[in-house]
Amino acid sequence: MNHKKHIVLFLCVLLGACAGILGIKPRNGERPFEHRAHVTKGVACTVCHEGIAKEVRTGPLHLPTTATCVSCHAKPHTQQSCGDCHGEKHQRQEVEIAKHALRFEHAKHVVASNGSCTKCHAKIGESRDVSLMPPMVSCFACHQHEKQFAARDCNGCHVDLPAEHVTPQDHLVHDGDFIREHGVRAAASPDLCATCHSERTCLSCHGVGTTPALPARLTFDQPRLSGLHRAGFLSRHAEESRNNPGLCTTCHAENTCRSCHEQQNVSAGGPTKRRSPHPSTWLNPTRGGDHGQAARLDPAGCAGCHGGAGEQLCIGCHKVGGPGGNPHGPGYTSRKDKQNDVPCRFCHRMGS
Amino acid sequence: MIRDPNVLRCKQTFWRAPLGDFRARARSAPFALGVAILFLSGLTRAEPLRLRGDAFAQTPSPTGLLILSGEDRVKPWISAEGLAWLGAGVGGETGAGDVLSLAVKLRDPTGHGELRVGRLMVTMGSIRPLQLDGASALGRTPWGSSLEAFGGAPVVPRFGERSYDWAVGGRLAQSLGEKAKLGVAYVHKRDRGDLAAEEVGADLAIAPTRTFDLAARTAYDLVSWGLVDALLSASLRFASLRLEAFATRRSPSRLLPATSLFSVLGDAPATRAGASVRWNAAPRLDLLGSGAVYVQDDRAGYDAFLRANLRTDDEGKGVLGLELRRQGVPQSGWTGIRATAVLPVLPRLRASTELELAAADHPDSRGAVWPWALVAMTYRASDRWDMALATEVASRPAVAREVVGLFRASYAWDR
Repeated sequence: MNHKKHIVLFLCVLLGACAGILGIKPRNGERPFEHRAHVTKGVACTVCHEGIAKEVRTGPLHLPTTATCVSCHAKPHTQQSCGDCHGEKHQRQEVEIAKHALRFEHAKHVVASNGSCTKCHAKIGESRDVSLMPPMVSCFACHQHEKQFAARDCNGCHVDLPAEHVTPQDHLVHDGDFIREHGVRAAASPDLCATCHSERTCLSCHGVGTTPALPARLTFDQPRLSGLHRAGFLSRHAEESRNNPGLCTTCHAENTCRSCHEQQNVSAGGPTKRRSPHPSTWLNPTRGGDHGQAARLDPAGCAGCHGGAGEQLCIGCHKVGGPGGNPHGPGYTSRKDKQNDVPCRFCHRMGS
Repeated sequence: MIRDPNVLRCKQTFWRAPLGDFRARARSAPFALGVAILFLSGLTRAEPLRLRGDAFAQTPSPTGLLILSGEDRVKPWISAEGLAWLGAGVGGETGAGDVLSLAVKLRDPTGHGELRVGRLMVTMGSIRPLQLDGASALGRTPWGSSLEAFGGAPVVPRFGERSYDWAVGGRLAQSLGEKAKLGVAYVHKRDRGDLAAEEVGADLAIAPTRTFDLAARTAYDLVSWGLVDALLSASLRFASLRLEAFATRRSPSRLLPATSLFSVLGDAPATRAGASVRWNAAPRLDLLGSGAVYVQDDRAGYDAFLRANLRTDDEGKGVLGLELRRQGVPQSGWTGIRATAVLPVLPRLRASTELELAAADHPDSRGAVWPWALVAMTYRASDRWDMALATEVASRPAVAREVVGLFRASYAWDR
């Protein structure tokens, strides 16, 4: 019992000691601006955010300066600029991003809301680290945008969604194992993905053959980005490919492996040494060997090197009447014409 | 504008043709159309034109890349994007260049229809991603129906020429409010005139509540009748916790084009099912765990991983990560550990490092452990410039010791 108490005590001490690094105890020296105190004192927003009631799409940010503060706080406690300590950097950044990326004019909204800023900026009343940007649901309280929302017509308000760095508040958030998940998520809503992502985002992986380099290679200095080809993928690609048959084929075309295997001499067609990647039991002249079962489980693995002209290697033995026998698995059917269509005719055409 | 250097930036759009066989590029209709549109964008522009250039170099087998990408919305009804690159030593080629994307999008400003022309990406429900030189159109009705159609020639790398390659298809979808969407799709592909794929499929996405959502898709092969693939993902989301259950079934032989000899070997579908958990355990600590079982023919196995990411500051500029991974499949199992660190050194200078140790269950003669490490420094000279330099060291099955130098310089033009 005593032992358990010690463990619990140890864990509590450990948690307390690590509270700072885990973010439980904020270490940020910045102080949220005391909006709540100003509001309860009856200071109108436009006193500090001077000119905001006439703000149009372009122009200054209307954030208060030290001069604005000292007009009331006549005896500042330090010579530093007020903004150095009061107010948080991320809130200023939000304002800057909104100015750049949103079509929005305070001038129109101040009139419509009878000068009540808290109708939209409801969180002003909380003197803690919060985002003061109104959530989109606040906009929908007055603006009916169902049609635009259904049509993904965001351009009316959002000039540049990617620059806003906004993420959806629910569903479709790109966390967890999103690399695995994204295919099925994007299937029903490709136009939703397109509201933030350009075609190049998809093509940087799926445009294999025309990509300049793998995304993981170009972003080598960002190790926290996940991806299929991260870190020492080259070492373990054979294992990864066998453990997830068909996955490589969703992006890679036939013969993807061949050029690299030839360069690395891990190929029967290597320029200098010839070193087969297959085990010694791969091919047995009398009993066939392991290659048949392996090919059935992962045919894309075979096509990675032996696709196209390399198929002749198989046809030599497996054509009709050949020593390799019938390569089709149980229950195989096809609507192709075996005398005339590719690839059936390679083995089935009489006299070939 | 504030930019987070850790967010992959996807800005841009104008590109200059890579050198080399200009005529081959000019033959491409999308190229000409794209250049014209982008030129016009310089005359009358509604939004800022943004361009980005990346230069990348790698040793010891010297690889150099110059990548230009851009994106612009000239007017609310027209936009264009593109990415082109020019390189040396890429995939063993002494000189190479290609266009990843170059598409012009015409759009009804009210969102009821759009048309894309050029080198583009097609993803429509159950249709797996397809890179095409062609066109894609989408029409939406006020009652939530949409019809998409596409047609064109599948892209051949390096502007290669192939005759009678084409693909057509489409998707019909219906939304049920904001709660659900159901679609059916069809695709037909020809490879040198021969039938390479013909599939029908269905997709579904439902989100009945703010905490639950589900997505699924499946495709059926009409050439050699059978299921091509089926994917399902359902998730429950709470404030700091997300639970996901997933399942996939893939028939590897049906994923290959029907013109491939390896597509006739019969059906041996691989099925995997599992669950993942993401937990924001503390304001700066994220934990992610995932596990799945796998069955194919008489083979069965499992895989699992656990990842922890600890941000060293509130803004997440510094991150420490640790990942353990295990794939327990007979004959090809492996175990790995990976540690990562990103640490801001100075306001504009960041250091990052990554270390991985992987050990195969059956290494044979490929070495017992495959270590891989990378150390990088990133310098963000200004909002427009950033540079990164790295050294990568590895020992892998094909090469006992390998040291690689990497360099990247990027510049973004914003007007």
